[in-house]
Amino acid sequence: MTALVEKLLRSKPVAWTLLALPGLWPLWPIYVSHNQSVLADPLKYVLHHLGFVACVLLATTLTFTPLRVLWPKWGIAQALNRHRRLVGVASFVYAALHFTTHLVYETAGDLSAVGGVLRTATKKPFQLVGLIALAILLVLAITSLHAFVRWLGGKNWKNLHRLAYVAAGLAAYHQAIARKIFPVQVLWIFVPLALLEIARVGKQWKQSRGAISSSGVARTG
Amino acid sequence: MLIRTPKDWELRESATTPETIYQNRRTFLKTLGFAGAAFAARDLFAATAGFPTTNNPAFRDPALKPTPYEAITHYNNFYEFGTDKSEPAELANRGWKTDPWTVEVTGLVDTPLKLDVNELVAKVGGIEQRVYRFRCVEAWSMVIPWDGFQLSKLIALASPKADAKFVKFTTFLDRKSAPGQADGNLDYPYIEGLRLDEAMHELAFIATGIYGKPIPNQNGAPLRLVVPWKYGFKNIKSIVKLELVAKAPRNTWQQMAASEYGFYANVNPLVDHPRWSQASERVIGGGGGVFGSRQRTLMFNGYEKQVAALYKGLDLEKNY
Repeated sequence: MTALVEKLLRSKPVAWTLLALPGLWPLWPIYVSHNQSVLADPLKYVLHHLGFVACVLLATTLTFTPLRVLWPKWGIAQALNRHRRLVGVASFVYAALHFTTHLVYETAGDLSAVGGVLRTATKKPFQLVGLIALAILLVLAITSLHAFVRWLGGKNWKNLHRLAYVAAGLAAYHQAIARKIFPVQVLWIFVPLALLEIARVGKQWKQSRGAISSSGVARTG
Repeated sequence: MLIRTPKDWELRESATTPETIYQNRRTFLKTLGFAGAAFAARDLFAATAGFPTTNNPAFRDPALKPTPYEAITHYNNFYEFGTDKSEPAELANRGWKTDPWTVEVTGLVDTPLKLDVNELVAKVGGIEQRVYRFRCVEAWSMVIPWDGFQLSKLIALASPKADAKFVKFTTFLDRKSAPGQADGNLDYPYIEGLRLDEAMHELAFIATGIYGKPIPNQNGAPLRLVVPWKYGFKNIKSIVKLELVAKAPRNTWQQMAASEYGFYANVNPLVDHPRWSQASERVIGGGGGVFGSRQRTLMFNGYEKQVAALYKGLDLEKNY
């Protein structure tokens, strides 16, 4: 059973399908179940849904590394780590669609109003934070091409891609203040990630301390 | 001979509940004797259902196109029943009782009142229909045909004393029936306030119905405030108490986030919300295909001519 799950999780087509499905979800309330609350302003639903999916995917891809560090022999963690980049890029795609939808939502298709919407976005901390997170994801998506990894060199590339954590922090803030009162889903999207990161850092710190003390023992001995 | 063409919003005389059935509605329900009766007859027997509504043309701008009923009743901010706009339509109709309902007018008044909502409607002389713009602070809008009566009539019944300067409104508190109140997502009960001269303005209205039907629970049954030149959150729902007071009451949203929501909350396209612009608004149910529809927000939500005088000399940027 676990072998099958692992095999499926390793598959690229399965990963692509799983990443595309959330984008199709809004079709359900709009065209199938005819949810009256969604139909009152369908684009608003699409807007919030895309941003939500972007946040979930960003938090998800960042959990893969700590999962592998904490449970290196766990096959599922290994399978997931094959898709780190793909899930990260998918998060960027959803974030970009979220922003595009925001432009359409705010202008209702009137192109002459786009400038005003962008100006507003730079003036409102809530919106600006989202824009900065999107800009980071854009840079990371572009530099995720193999050529860039070679061009930057492994270490620089890794340091640059640590910006993903900054993007996650900004996205959590952006989502947390999007509503009039604190939306609880922010907690279940980002808290597991935070806990895994703390555990990972703890484990790596212990290991490095162990390495130092054992090298010390080796020297005195 | 005068041949009158009934307007599309008019209920026919035959659709009116006969007074005897209305008076004995609870006995009548019992005699129906099956479980579904109470639900099936809800529209007919809800509080204030027995009052035929008449159009008031003075408060109906023919240029306004009313929002579809389904959108008005399924896109609700009523945090007592959840923070999601789809939740009130579901959760406010799971056994929360809005009939019978008692309203109290108290505080700095000569004749305090405490009476059933139906008695109250009879006392103020029945209900009328007005079509008002509705603008939410979240930058969306509707056009709603409200049935109800002018707020000033209710306040006059209690005869405010000379030192009464503000009206404080309070919503019901029932943690068992209202899951949002049980969660404590806001400080309950919900409080709102108006300056007395705002409350006495002819546009200030108490709604008991929408589109000629008793107001659904999710829209604030059996009676709610409607001040069309202010943001939606001022329009407190399911009122149990009006209190005439000397000092401005702190309204719930001001208490939650004073930097975002003030006491006045007048619709003003020139004063932004800290997180978004108020210059334009999405038109709910306004067509426009996939793009939807957006329009410019009007000063005082289009009621500038009528209400601007109330705020002469007031810095609207500071008093948002």
